Amino acid sequence: MAAPGAGMEALVCARGRNRKAVLCQRCGSRVLQPGAATLARRQLFLPSMKKKTALAESGSPDGDVLQDHWLVDDMFSFENIGFTKDVGNIKFLICADCEIGPIGWHCLDDKKSFYVALDRVSHE
Amino acid sequence: MDEDVLTTLKILIIGESGVGKSSLLLRFTDDTFDPELAATIGVDFKVKTISVDGNKAKLAIWDTAGQERFRTLTPSYYRGAQGVILVYDVTRRETFLKLDNWLNELETYCTRNDIVKMLVGNKIDKENREVDRNEGLKFARKHSMLFIEASAKTCDGVQCAFEELVEKIIQTPGLWESENQNRGVKLSNKEEGYGGPGCGGYCSVL
Repeated sequence: MAAPGAGMEALVCARGRNRKAVLCQRCGSRVLQPGAATLARRQLFLPSMKKKTALAESGSPDGDVLQDHWLVDDMFSFENIGFTKDVGNIKFLICADCEIGPIGWHCLDDKKSFYVALDRVSHE
Repeated sequence: MDEDVLTTLKILIIGESGVGKSSLLLRFTDDTFDPELAATIGVDFKVKTISVDGNKAKLAIWDTAGQERFRTLTPSYYRGAQGVILVYDVTRRETFLKLDNWLNELETYCTRNDIVKMLVGNKIDKENREVDRNEGLKFARKHSMLFIEASAKTCDGVQCAFEELVEKIIQTPGLWESENQNRGVKLSNKEEGYGGPGCGGYCSVL
């Protein structure tokens, strides 16, 4: 994704929070209300949403290193979200309604950080 | 958390393997996308927001996702739950007959005795029905449970079921008030007025 610029301004308010509601790209399920999260920049690897992945096994599944995320510190900040079972010390976040994902990332070592990748959701 | 959220609740979904517990939580979509990741790794739990009588409740919903094959779930699974959805498959009588076992387990491990229960007879869109609606209703009445029948194609009915369950929990303030004092959620002026007649605990939703 490009550095923060004109595109990001429409999504992020002056206080660094999400201006728009965050929705599932596939089914429109509401993930976050406007203003519920803050923008965080951190390089995180998320397996591909489209291709079959071999996550359960070892190896290197297809995916993307993504940098721009919506961050919340409480799982009840989400309107609707699903958590996968643990993969090592990671839980991936998926759509609660259609289960597409991963749209985000949570590390069990940091109980107060839940990331949703901007590239994996839509904004309205 | 939002100011207008009344409470957060822990809800369990239990029942025999293959009765469609997980599908109760899915939105029905026409496309053929297979949620590969969810199927490979497995879903642990979901947070869902539901509106009941103008109040928002956030639910943490856990389904057993295969653990029931090991028969006894860990006590921690049951701990602190305020609501439970007990599911059987109307086309497989044995799943209906196992309900007593599930109720026993619930009674053994559940940390509170006023947990709100709902019975769901699933897969009514299939033709080879083995458990008729009245049997389900009768069982639900006997054990003071709410009751609905549902199928993958009646998501609306399932949505109603969740709302009904949450409404019943909210009408039982002892179930949730103490939890929320710890979380600092404002109850505003809503403490009174939950004593209405509402559901007698065994009514049919649909």
